[in-house]
Amino acid sequence: MNRKVVCCTVAIAFAALVGGCSKSQNGTEQQQPAAAATKTIDPATVGSVSGTIKLDGAAPAYKAINMSADPYCVKANAGHPVMPQEVVTGDGNTLGNVVVYVKSGAEGYSFPTPTDTVTLDQKNCTYTPHVLALMVGQQLSVINSDDTTHNIHPTPTDNREWNKSQPPKAPAITDSFARPEIAIPVKCNVHPWMKGYIAVMANPFYAVTDKDGKFDLKGLPPGTYTIEAWQEKYGTQDQTVTIGAKEDKAGVDFTFKAQ
Amino acid sequence: MPELQPDDPIKTRSYANVILIAIFVLLLCVSWSFYQEFIGLRPWRSYQTRFAESYSAYLQKQVRDREAAEKAVESSADYQKLQAALQQAEAVADPQDKAIKQQSDLVDLQRAAILSAFQTDRSLVGSLIYDYEVVPNTAAYRSEKQSHLQAVLDAEAKEYSVDWPEGDGKTVTRTFNYNQLNDTFNQLLDQKAQLTAKQGDIDQPVKDAQAAMAKLISDKLPGLTADQLDGLLKSARDMDVTLVQINVNPPGTQINDIGGVGLTDRCQSCHVGMNPKFVPAALTITKADLGLPRSNDAPFTSHPDQDLLTWHPLDTFGCSPCHGGNGRALDTVELAHGRYEHWLWPLNYPENYQAGCQQCHSADAWTEHAPVLNEAKILFRDRGCIGCHNYAGFDSQGQQLQDTDREIASLEKEKVDDNQKIPILNKQGDQAPDNATAQRLYAEATNLTVTVSKLDARVEQLDQLSHSLQQEVKRVGPDLKEVRLKLHPEWIPYWLGHTWNFDPTAQMPQFRLEPDEVQAISAFIWQQGLKGPALDKQAPGDPARGKDLFNSLGCLACHSIGEGSQKIGGDIADNLSREGEKANYDYIVRWIHNPRVRSAPYDPYLHRDLTSEDYTKHGLPFVFDVDHSRSPVDGHELVVQQQTIMPDFRLSWQEARDIASFLMTQKDASSHYDPAPFVNDASLYEKGRTLVVHYGCAGCHEISGLEDASRVGTDLTQEGSKPIGRFDFALLYTKAQDGILPDGQPLKRGNEYSSWYDLKGFFDQKLADPAVFDEGQYKPDPMDRLKMPKPNVTQDQINALTSFLLGSTQSTLPPSYQYLPTDQRQAIQDGWWIVTKYNCIGCHQIDIGQRTILMDLPAYKGDNAINLPPVLTSEGARVNPEWLKSFLANPSLSATDTDRDGVRQYLKVRMPTFFLSDDEVRKLVLFFGALSSQQQPFIPEKLAPLSDQERSVARAIFTSPAAPCLKCHMTGNPAHDANATAPNFLLAGQRLRSAWTERWITEPATIIPGTAMPSGLFVRQGNRWVFNAPLPPEAKNYTGDEADLLVRYLMELTPQEQAMLSGRTPVAAKSGSSSVKK
Repeated sequence: MNRKVVCCTVAIAFAALVGGCSKSQNGTEQQQPAAAATKTIDPATVGSVSGTIKLDGAAPAYKAINMSADPYCVKANAGHPVMPQEVVTGDGNTLGNVVVYVKSGAEGYSFPTPTDTVTLDQKNCTYTPHVLALMVGQQLSVINSDDTTHNIHPTPTDNREWNKSQPPKAPAITDSFARPEIAIPVKCNVHPWMKGYIAVMANPFYAVTDKDGKFDLKGLPPGTYTIEAWQEKYGTQDQTVTIGAKEDKAGVDFTFKAQ
Repeated sequence: MPELQPDDPIKTRSYANVILIAIFVLLLCVSWSFYQEFIGLRPWRSYQTRFAESYSAYLQKQVRDREAAEKAVESSADYQKLQAALQQAEAVADPQDKAIKQQSDLVDLQRAAILSAFQTDRSLVGSLIYDYEVVPNTAAYRSEKQSHLQAVLDAEAKEYSVDWPEGDGKTVTRTFNYNQLNDTFNQLLDQKAQLTAKQGDIDQPVKDAQAAMAKLISDKLPGLTADQLDGLLKSARDMDVTLVQINVNPPGTQINDIGGVGLTDRCQSCHVGMNPKFVPAALTITKADLGLPRSNDAPFTSHPDQDLLTWHPLDTFGCSPCHGGNGRALDTVELAHGRYEHWLWPLNYPENYQAGCQQCHSADAWTEHAPVLNEAKILFRDRGCIGCHNYAGFDSQGQQLQDTDREIASLEKEKVDDNQKIPILNKQGDQAPDNATAQRLYAEATNLTVTVSKLDARVEQLDQLSHSLQQEVKRVGPDLKEVRLKLHPEWIPYWLGHTWNFDPTAQMPQFRLEPDEVQAISAFIWQQGLKGPALDKQAPGDPARGKDLFNSLGCLACHSIGEGSQKIGGDIADNLSREGEKANYDYIVRWIHNPRVRSAPYDPYLHRDLTSEDYTKHGLPFVFDVDHSRSPVDGHELVVQQQTIMPDFRLSWQEARDIASFLMTQKDASSHYDPAPFVNDASLYEKGRTLVVHYGCAGCHEISGLEDASRVGTDLTQEGSKPIGRFDFALLYTKAQDGILPDGQPLKRGNEYSSWYDLKGFFDQKLADPAVFDEGQYKPDPMDRLKMPKPNVTQDQINALTSFLLGSTQSTLPPSYQYLPTDQRQAIQDGWWIVTKYNCIGCHQIDIGQRTILMDLPAYKGDNAINLPPVLTSEGARVNPEWLKSFLANPSLSATDTDRDGVRQYLKVRMPTFFLSDDEVRKLVLFFGALSSQQQPFIPEKLAPLSDQERSVARAIFTSPAAPCLKCHMTGNPAHDANATAPNFLLAGQRLRSAWTERWITEPATIIPGTAMPSGLFVRQGNRWVFNAPLPPEAKNYTGDEADLLVRYLMELTPQEQAMLSGRTPVAAKSGSSSVKK
């Protein structure tokens, strides 16, 4: 046994021990969540979903709104009794003021925030439109066309609440909503009959029906979607629809039962 | 050198192998000792290293993200605009700055140039004047004085030549005498000050622009800036691996006083993320932030509630005082967390964290940031725990009553003694040997008469207090003296035997009763009940109207209705879904009309209920209520009300009949009750009485003959300090140690199997089902069994109560750690005891962020939230305390028109009358004041009276079409008020505080988010609020603060003025009537 062997062995052993000891204790790897790949929409393949909303049964009989609390409102609507907009029907019992939108199926895409501003007008002591829809982050502009002071008071569940007064001729109040919500009630505390809704959408595939009850969701990439229809009195209904490339699917109709 | 022996073993034998082995052994030992030294014995070292790594990685990413975000903002149009503005401002300011700098530099040079001459001359003149002054001003010294004066004049006239800078680097030689030097120097100082001020003005726009840019960044990107994050990253990377220890040794204590007062806490040696030096409050980090799985053993997260750390600074509290555990142990996690048999304060499990709060906050009724504990304290009272278990601070009115009576007696005695002394002193004065002594004795006698009159005042206060206390005594359960008037006899045994079958959410616990015990108890209670006076016969009411009233008045803040998933309402009182099965209609009508009415007053002194004969004998009508509360027999304070917390809604008899009729419809049609003839069986009476005493029924119920019964359970005030050996696990001892639950399942705490032979285990099991501790024992007589009934609590509620009990300790912490405030916070706690007692929080939000029962009812969701009772978070700042006192006493604010709310008549929900004692009213008023940091007593702010011109301006604004005030607020016009949604302004003067009112009309949403009162009615212009709408012509020239003007106007508002406004504003009268015609 020569000295060299001993020296080597000792050195190796020591190295091994030291190495063993200094081995990193760190067992925690940094886990970076993989960023969700954003799908892009190919404009060549998009299709649409369209249909009509109907009411099964008779719409409730409404009485004209009593605006006597504010003489301005009475004067502004003189000769034209204002009816509540809760249930609005057209010929053939088609249903207006229904928000139809893609509830799920479009999550993989990212959508730019529209740059145009949506306007809510307070005119003749009513909201025009009664139901409006806009996208998350899109600018809402509230204007007062009346010669009386209104206050705009959205009472959301998921978004931030606010309540601002808007005197006649005051500049528009602008704001946006950060989270999707269907639908935020908007109220004027001064004129308690003034009630409207703002639907905040996560994607641009939505429509608010007119009296004719028709909607057409355009620009949808092929896929399977849950389409939901929301009505302030009757709640929601949904359908699952699959469309292929360039397919225009018609006849996706919803019928709400009158209560 | 001597020759070596041929067989020298050193030379001939190799020891290489032995040495090699020895080296290995040695190396192993050294390595092992190094390992133990640095890692094995000090696991915190590796924790700290790992923390530094993960945290650095996290920060690195944060810095990158933040930098990118900051860049994005900087490239935004808004920012660019601000930057351009800044550049422009700089461009304007820079040349001016330069010019000023030049002037300023020149002034500095000039000042430096004359400084030496100025100082020399000034000291010379000064010393010469002194020489002159010290010479006496007499004839003898006249000439000397004269010569000194001359010297002064000469020095003043002396000229100094100075190299005077003129700018442009040139200097000229100028000469100055004393006065010129003085003047020039002062001028230079003035010039310098003017230049500095001017420079400030010139630079202001630049500073404003810079501030605007910084604000934009902080608005768009709240949180730490990239630079700040970078600084943190550096300190994380350079972190020293070091032991962190907190020592708190109050004066006179020793560091090693284990279990005594000293405190040593080393938790942060592993829990590095707590250290604000590394993780500031603005950056709360979680395991997810650090990319660690939740289960990972890595104590790095920061404290989730930074407010708690603000109130309990880490460097004085450390961790273990609140969380438990062995604060000084570091060797293993188990030791440090105190999770071993002989450590008395193991680390609390997450579900019991708030036990830590209770140790020092045991005197609180409501502890901020401790919702679990607050719930436990409410449960402790409302589930009737307090009926059997004494707990210091809870419902001690009975004890206080006794103490008060005793004090009154002793004061009366003192009075008698003093009164006897007075004539003696006077007589001694009459016979005193000299006038001085007589005067002293007379004075003593006079003083004593004053002392006696003060005793009278004290006694009178104590009488009031005892009246208050008698009113404050409440019981959790209903008065059983009235069972015969209220209940169907056959329902009683069913209820006793099947309490939770009848009502799954009953407050009453389920007793373990044998059928014969049920019969005996029913019989005793029935036979012990009052037999009269007979109730008034009530006509039937309208159940539909009753239902409407029931749902809207606020009954649901305490009561629930509906079963299972249909159940809505609070748990503080009965579920009324089956009220119709058990109760008599006539009784319920009386109860709803005023639940405090009782059939007979109880005389605690005579220990019996009084009858009408007792009153007649003393020539008094049989009338007993809060205003007639003295016994006609013995003059003592009587129990004149039902001892229930249920308030009086001041309903009409018809309304009471309607609600009662609705409740009578609440029954399960399929239920059937066996007749119970045994309730009249006199032979069961004695047995029933024994059982009622044994089970402590009188702790929660008023029962004839047992009014003074004491609590049958253990005092729980310091239950958490009892050593484990004093808890009777009975035959479950082994199972508990082995971690087997009574049902045979193994126990898991968190993710780990665990023993439950500890206080938490005992409390958890006892609360879930006290009967388990009888398991396997031979107890033939049911009365030998554990008598504690099964409380009706959910698992969450068990956790809350266990936390409460675990924290109920004789604290080992220094006394200074106890929360025993003597300032306004004391008033706050006094108030919370009352607020939780009467469930004010069922209707009102009082603590910021606190939920109420009503808030969560479907009827108040969305925009119906405006129909909720008022939010009281700023009540103390809002109302005049004198007004609040009268409102609490009578919320209708009217002696005659009581069937209404005094302030918000438009709300369907109504503030009832609680018949609070004077003491409770006083405490509540102080409570609301203290919650809003208001000084006591209240001195109203003096408001400048309105001038005629101001009044007409205010009137014009107030009634202008742009001001919506009178559209929502009540005006006293019935047609208008039918649709009003806000109080009448006429109340403002006595009710509101002006400072609050101004804040309210300008920024209501900051006081009550979600209020119907809109923001933006006024805008800030310079230093004043201006009405935010086109102003009427009369108001256009007003230059004062318009919000302040309106507040003063409202505070002065008179009924005449209001009537005039209504005339002027067509809102109310005209259009209201025209709409009726339509």
